[in-house]
Amino acid sequence: MTWRLALASAVGGAAAWLTTACADRAVAGDRPLQQSVHGRSRGVSSGDVAGTIAESALAIRNMTREPGALATVVAVTVRGWTGPGGRPFEVTLRTPGQTPAHARRFGTVTLRNSARTRAPNVGQYPCTSCHLGKRLTMSAKRVRDAHQNIKAPHPVQTGGACSTCHAADNVELLALKSGERATLDHTYRLCAQCHFSQADAWASGAHGKRLDGWQGRRVVMGCADCHDPHKPAIEPRIPFRAPRIERVRGHDE
Amino acid sequence: MSADLFQSPPNGDDDGTVLQKRVDRRRALGILIGGMAAGTQAVSACSPLSAATDEERELKHLEWQEFIQKHYRRMTEAERAETVVRIERLAKLRLGVNVTIDTTGAQPGVLFGYAFNISKCRGYRSCIEACINENNLDRAADTQYIRIFEMKDGPVDLDAATATYEHEVPAAGHFYFGTQCFQCANPPCVPVCPVGATWQEPDGIVVIDYNWCVGCRMCMSACPYWARRFNWSVPEVPAEVVNPNQHYLGNRARRKGVVEKCTFCIHRTRHGRLPACAEACPTGARVFGNLLDPNSEIRWILANKRIFRLKEDLETEPRFWYFSD
Repeated sequence: MTWRLALASAVGGAAAWLTTACADRAVAGDRPLQQSVHGRSRGVSSGDVAGTIAESALAIRNMTREPGALATVVAVTVRGWTGPGGRPFEVTLRTPGQTPAHARRFGTVTLRNSARTRAPNVGQYPCTSCHLGKRLTMSAKRVRDAHQNIKAPHPVQTGGACSTCHAADNVELLALKSGERATLDHTYRLCAQCHFSQADAWASGAHGKRLDGWQGRRVVMGCADCHDPHKPAIEPRIPFRAPRIERVRGHDE
Repeated sequence: MSADLFQSPPNGDDDGTVLQKRVDRRRALGILIGGMAAGTQAVSACSPLSAATDEERELKHLEWQEFIQKHYRRMTEAERAETVVRIERLAKLRLGVNVTIDTTGAQPGVLFGYAFNISKCRGYRSCIEACINENNLDRAADTQYIRIFEMKDGPVDLDAATATYEHEVPAAGHFYFGTQCFQCANPPCVPVCPVGATWQEPDGIVVIDYNWCVGCRMCMSACPYWARRFNWSVPEVPAEVVNPNQHYLGNRARRKGVVEKCTFCIHRTRHGRLPACAEACPTGARVFGNLLDPNSEIRWILANKRIFRLKEDLETEPRFWYFSD
């Protein structure tokens, strides 16, 4: 049974190497956004980790699993709402061109996990490229001419104007009824003024989407991650159908 | 909802005494046939007609070791390490892929539960797409753990529902109802297994040791939710789409003639991540969490939403609830 001994020593060697790698990662991961603890999220201190490592090679292998993609998500703490048990939680930032919140890897494929793709040119053509320092004017003709690409059933059906939600002197800020301003990262503050029951469910986890982990940081998608604020209803689509492949390895193997 | 739902099953540290006799019999068989095989091999090694390469010989040897390995719950840590290395090597020899086999156990104080929002599900089947890719499901047999049933607005009627719709969704006047393994607190599939190849882990996940399963399919007939799948042939998973992130009790390569099922993505959830179906769902209809944490999202839903479970009268106590807005 010498091969067994060889395997055991190979595992031991790999374990020692992984231990070093693990320690390196722990030192490097001191930035707040990388404190995602997936894969090591059992509240273990570094001393405990050392003890576990000594226990068996398997424990080390198991602890160096892929930690998930949450570490790459840029998020900010939610203001005004708390999750179940009064715990604070975070909402994904509305960063132009950023995809981590909208695509996840499953096996070898990457899938969108949002009902909507963010317009990729939000950063390229910010509202302020035209509206900088100018008050919004409500001329129907000008709105029609300049924004033909924006289909806006939501303000139309609710009788809202641009300035119902956007600050009149800076369209990239949201005007709350309280007189406060909110950035586009905090759309939930604006939406919740009317959709309060959805906001309650969102804060508690029954509406909307938590990213990556059931444990550790709670990062959820914001309202505009799934709903187009100008057109909140989500389009129907063709469901996924599994492609079937020919059997190569046969029934008799 | 009964209080014992939030209790972990008692068999966390099974000493495996029920399996003692069977293991001994297997070992005896192993020694007997192993001797024969060694003899045959010695003869064939001397033969000039033998074309076996080193890799083929290694494959045969590892397959033999795999055949006589112990029940997973009776393995020592050293034996588990050996098994893990063997499975990884077999994946390399058979498919040419580098996989890693995880053996992480249940986290203390964790009991998994699932909630499914029938008001939100729109029937996209993104969960199924993610599940197939994440769990290395048989692409040729079209094996799927999840079914999304399209039902007419009204009562839950599985007989009148269809899971094979191809039109644009959501269809007007319909709602969508997903099923998969519910990881029941009182799983009818476990006691019927004649060889003890399936059991419930302390975190509530019902798992299968694919190397111990004899393929009798008693568990499949016992499950009232049609949650288990049988491999009528070797699962066809092309090497380029194999998910290398595998768990021994989860998505590792299955053999022909064994039963498999949803494990709430045991290789992800035991590391704090969401199951693939919950993470892929674009509508947020799927909520997953720890039932023992009173501040979890799923506990909030159980306490504040209108909830029900499928075929509740059977007293299987699924840890999978349906709710509506």
